[in-house]
Amino acid sequence: MGSQPGSQPYLLSARSVVKHFGPTSVLKGFDLSIARGEVHAFLGGNGAGKSTLIKIISGQHERDGGTLEFDGEALGASVGAHRDAGAIAVVNQELALLPHLSVAENIAMPRLRRAARPYRERVAETIAMEALSLIDPRFARESVRRRVGDLTLHERQLVEIARSLGSGAKLLLLDEPTANLTAAETGRLFAVIRRLVADTELAVLFVSHRMREIRQIADVCTVIRDGKTAIDRVRLDRITDSEIIECMGQSIVPDDSAAKPGSPTPRAAARSDVSAAQHGAIVVKHAHISLTVAPGTIVGLAGAPTGPIALIETLTGAAAAHVWDVTCNGVPMIYANCAAAARAGVGFVSGDRANKGMLGTLPIIDNLMAARRIVERRYFARNEELMEGMGLIEALNMRVRSLWDLPSTLSGGTQQKLLVARWLALKPKLLVLEEPTRGVDIRTKREIYALIRKMAAQGTAVIWWSTEYIELAELCDRVLAFDLDGRPASVLHGEEVNEAQLANATGMAA
Amino acid sequence: MKSITPALASERYRPGGGLRRLLSTYRTEMAIAIAMVIVELAVGMAVPAALSGGNLTNVMQAAAPLVIMSFGVLLVIITGGIDLSVGSVFSLTGMITGLAMAHGFGAIASSMAGLSVGIVIGLANGALVTFVGLAPFVVTLSTYAIAGSLSFIVTNGNSLPISDPNYWLLDSGTLIPGMPNYLLWCLLLLVGIEFSLRKVVAGRWLYAVGSSSSSARVIGIPVNRVRLTAYLLSGLLASFAGIVSVSYVSNAEATAGASLMLQSIAAVVIGGASLFGGTGSAIGALLGALMITIIQNGANLIGVNSFWQGTVTGIVILIAVLLDRITKARR
Repeated sequence: MGSQPGSQPYLLSARSVVKHFGPTSVLKGFDLSIARGEVHAFLGGNGAGKSTLIKIISGQHERDGGTLEFDGEALGASVGAHRDAGAIAVVNQELALLPHLSVAENIAMPRLRRAARPYRERVAETIAMEALSLIDPRFARESVRRRVGDLTLHERQLVEIARSLGSGAKLLLLDEPTANLTAAETGRLFAVIRRLVADTELAVLFVSHRMREIRQIADVCTVIRDGKTAIDRVRLDRITDSEIIECMGQSIVPDDSAAKPGSPTPRAAARSDVSAAQHGAIVVKHAHISLTVAPGTIVGLAGAPTGPIALIETLTGAAAAHVWDVTCNGVPMIYANCAAAARAGVGFVSGDRANKGMLGTLPIIDNLMAARRIVERRYFARNEELMEGMGLIEALNMRVRSLWDLPSTLSGGTQQKLLVARWLALKPKLLVLEEPTRGVDIRTKREIYALIRKMAAQGTAVIWWSTEYIELAELCDRVLAFDLDGRPASVLHGEEVNEAQLANATGMAA
Repeated sequence: MKSITPALASERYRPGGGLRRLLSTYRTEMAIAIAMVIVELAVGMAVPAALSGGNLTNVMQAAAPLVIMSFGVLLVIITGGIDLSVGSVFSLTGMITGLAMAHGFGAIASSMAGLSVGIVIGLANGALVTFVGLAPFVVTLSTYAIAGSLSFIVTNGNSLPISDPNYWLLDSGTLIPGMPNYLLWCLLLLVGIEFSLRKVVAGRWLYAVGSSSSSARVIGIPVNRVRLTAYLLSGLLASFAGIVSVSYVSNAEATAGASLMLQSIAAVVIGGASLFGGTGSAIGALLGALMITIIQNGANLIGVNSFWQGTVTGIVILIAVLLDRITKARR
């Protein structure tokens, strides 16, 4: 299926790459060829092996078989064997930043390759300024000397990308770089990538689940399915979105499977049920904005991260209420901490899966039961938890081999389902979700939507922050839009909840 | 479009000159220095002799081994590790040095024999932590126990007199006129280590590894080499401290370093380092070690029952860590 003329050798060719994690084989003979000066979209379902391949190319994982040739030279299989050259730069989904050090030092660090050389702060700052200014000059000016640990997730993503852009590498591996970026930043990032590709023959391997972005930036695509090459180097102008999506997974759940007529959708049910629903409704108030979240309804939050985060922290007891006034039946919902909120019926799925979601060293069963043990004050593990756990896993169609495995053996999407599943059986009064579908493939997204609808149908009020307007439009009855300064701007109802109106209200294009 | 929230913009660094930057870099250290002066003045109010030149010289001389050892422990703590073996390395070094002298070796050869203790144990610690992947606490707890018992075994528990009559010059001689050597060692190490930590790439790598070793690895920093070097230097400096101490006391004791391990970790923590890694400075470690010595010296002069010294030191550690926490929270 190759379409690039073979006159010039590829910058990178991976042939029959194999990788196992224990008994699980993730890559089963994968081929990938990247030419100089191209932006190469790398697509695949959740758990298909994209991140693993990226880590093999960048020397973070050892491969178990196959060959890698980069710039005419064979790359060794061992970890770090080809890192020193600095010719391959990578932005992983988990950011590789040094929180105690300054932004400048984080960006300059990969260039400091000799232990005995002097380190000069001013030089590091100059390097960082140059790299950061490519994406956001104002952020560059204001932040080069700040500690990375003091930055928001979104700002850290900018630093990480700037570092890779400024590295002078020949091949740039970007694993979902735009997940935490605003539209304007994504636009600038793409402009920089185009310029570097044109000027320096840089090759970029770009992973994203957003088809529109891929169409904007990439020339060629390769699709991985189940650890094998499903589409090998096809020019994007010769393939349609649906063809790509078809190749990514065998059975894509159709768009509106969960909301098919026949049984009333939760959305419709909630509408027809408004008078009854008002009892137990949660009222969220800011200076001039008031929002009622009735049981069974799904309310979206949209806009620049700071606004939704402040509201979510108030709702979940993570921070003291300053600007938000939250009541239920006239009683203030103020909690000293997240545990108190959970016991009062507020479920929370954090967007920071690794640090505030998963208990990484505990088996899946403990992760599934984590919320229940807090809410019901269970101080001892019980045998019936195994049955409850099995029930959840079956109900949610999660790919889990054993309840005693660590969550790290699950794909990102399955982990995300697990986090939502924690609350399923508890039937919380309110469920607060932070981007539960970030970095998740289309099929798993559908499953998570279905799960959210199911919980709403149980009578849970859902407050859901998402950066993808399409999904807000599809699932939400109402959306609270925040402006760029994090202030609540307006509440959109019913038909107003669409991409154009959301973009208008938040000042951010989807 | 906005990438900076108003709240964050207000706490950003203001561009400023070198002095301003220096002041903000060393704010913890300056706080300790001020606290130290206050403590010493308070002792001086009770016992005026405390402020005499003679007593201050005593304090410095007594502090020197702890200062040197703390520098080594600091390097390991910056990488996010811990070295519990330093006290035993200190003792064993003294015993080996004394033993070598007793067997007729000269001062230099005996000192080298002593230093080899730190090199061997430092390398063993580093190799087990980095290449085998064992927890630093467990590894260095084991080598602490082993080296500690070896210090007794080599002479069956007897102390050894130092046979070379000129050996005291290592501690109290004057390579530079007017400056006793223990002070010279401390100053050289202070300047060398502080400079390396701040102005040499290798020093920045120590912080990078301590800040996030997985990130450091992705960035391409030779994490294993950095860790190994930190443990090696920690062992070496503990050995050097042992030699300096032996030359001062003119007698090698198997129990000489027993209390120093906890004191050196305390000194590093009082000096503003975090046991989670990524922070700390040589100046801080120096001040921390001096602080501990001043408290002990002051307690002795005032006539506090020596059983209380641990309580006082413990409270000072807690106060230092709490103050650090409070000032950081406010920033």
